[in-house]
Amino acid sequence: MNLDWLDAFLITGLFEVVMVIGLGLLLHLQLGLARIANFGVVGFWGIGMYAFGVLYVRVDWPFADPWQFLVCAAFATVVAGLAGLLVGWLIADLDTDGVLVGTLGFATAVQLLATTEDDLTGGARGMGGLGFPYDIGRVKENELLWLVITAVVVAAILFYAWRVHRSPYGRLLIAVGGNEPLTRSLGKSTFRAKLWLFTVTSAAMGLLGAMNGVMVRYLDIGNIGVSVTLAAMVGLVLGGTARVWGAVVGVILTVGLFDIVVQSYLPLPQDWYTQAIPVLREAAFGLTLMVVLLFRPLGLLGDMRRDELMRRLHGR
Amino acid sequence: MVADVAASVAVARPRIRIQGAVKSFSGRVVVDVENLVLGDRPIEGLIGPNGAGKTTLMRMVMHSTSLDRGTISFLPGDGSEVALSTLPAHRLAGLGVVKSNQVIMDFAELTVWDSLLLAVAESRYEQPHRIFSEGIVFEQHEAEIRQHLDYFGFTDPTLFAMSAGEKKLLDIVRCLLLKPRFLLLDEPTAGLPADLTEKVMAVIRDLAAGGTSVVVVEHDLNVIWNLCDEVLFMAEGSVILRGAPATIRENRTVVEKYLGEGHV
Repeated sequence: MNLDWLDAFLITGLFEVVMVIGLGLLLHLQLGLARIANFGVVGFWGIGMYAFGVLYVRVDWPFADPWQFLVCAAFATVVAGLAGLLVGWLIADLDTDGVLVGTLGFATAVQLLATTEDDLTGGARGMGGLGFPYDIGRVKENELLWLVITAVVVAAILFYAWRVHRSPYGRLLIAVGGNEPLTRSLGKSTFRAKLWLFTVTSAAMGLLGAMNGVMVRYLDIGNIGVSVTLAAMVGLVLGGTARVWGAVVGVILTVGLFDIVVQSYLPLPQDWYTQAIPVLREAAFGLTLMVVLLFRPLGLLGDMRRDELMRRLHGR
Repeated sequence: MVADVAASVAVARPRIRIQGAVKSFSGRVVVDVENLVLGDRPIEGLIGPNGAGKTTLMRMVMHSTSLDRGTISFLPGDGSEVALSTLPAHRLAGLGVVKSNQVIMDFAELTVWDSLLLAVAESRYEQPHRIFSEGIVFEQHEAEIRQHLDYFGFTDPTLFAMSAGEKKLLDIVRCLLLKPRFLLLDEPTAGLPADLTEKVMAVIRDLAAGGTSVVVVEHDLNVIWNLCDEVLFMAEGSVILRGAPATIRENRTVVEKYLGEGHV
């Protein structure tokens, strides 16, 4: 396949957008429905990525790709899910401040572990040896296929979130986020609901982390900085935390605009790319977050419209 | 013979036993109940001046307010006894111990339909993998919910409950859908117009006739005198009198502390 027309930057930029949309959708389930402000998204994503990397590179598997990838990705998903279970158990009964500190602390712990567990993770030097679970030709072709596969996974997450809104489970999550004591008085275990939510969404974040590991092929601790959480959070808040499409719209307008349009198509000085752009990106995202919270706190898509949804589902 | 039947009915009726229950706020004892059984009669009214501890006592039963000491047990009527004070709050509804709220509580982002479907949905349909079960839950409970909606005359249940009265009714209907065996109603008719107050009272009578024990905390004394089989008078954290409505109404202490001379 001749892909000379396709810019390599565009593939990685689109991959970044798709990845952050996936994380934003999972954050939407936590924050938009159950009102759990998870500021440790990168921790679960990172634990999935590093668990995948360590298993893929350090273990001598008796089988090759694609089975090696599938087994390692499945393990990474389980590890991230267990981390979600543990963190969820610790934070489930905490107030918003407690959840914020707890999840942020977890993400920091993951980054510290990735740095200090040198033998496993390569520490600050990083870890190579990762690759695509297939080989269809040149790097660009492999990357494009991986982008498509990742987009399919994120589309599945989007469909899941869309269905959750139309299910008793989604209603329970909204109730937990809206009025926890009242939900408990109706016989619902809000603790269990939050624990399940955190476990499942963290596992999915871990899977996305593993998929990111394949794309970057070299893991270093710079990959698991707070900017990943910030990107997902800003995108979701801009689009609307309560709406399924909020993460999609918001991430396209933030990460898409910055990582694709600004970085790839604006004539910026070459030396900006190493120092100035990452800082500018975080400053722009932070500013966006403040502006949205000040002037349109419900985001571009606005509030959840349960009345319209209920009419569509059940009529009058 | 009649007395025997009445006694056996009284034994079979679900009851709540409160023993040595104490609750203080900032050093001030708000509830101090030595030994109290609720539910001996089908509908009991709990009255008393503001600050007597009525709502706090109800909240202690439901775990909304923790006990400083003491125990609260549920006696379902089959000879068993469940210590409510050791159970997590969400388990109470499963036992049939249900309470409506004095202060209006609602889910701001859920419509009336949503709120009622939430109350009836079984936990097996509320799992992360059950994302296609809305139709089943709706189909199973639509008729029951519509019956309540029609009876109380909700204007458009696909919308959010707007007025305080509608939210109050929604709270009551949620309680009814939980199939209570012991129902605590904290000012159920506050803010409701007369016709809806009558409807709520009729529902309470039906429930009690069906075997549910009902305790009503209410400042509208016409509701208490017309509805209750027995009235408990609470003051300074303790139940100091209980008896037939007519007896309580004429009691000197109640008149002086609460009703005032003009009410008798």
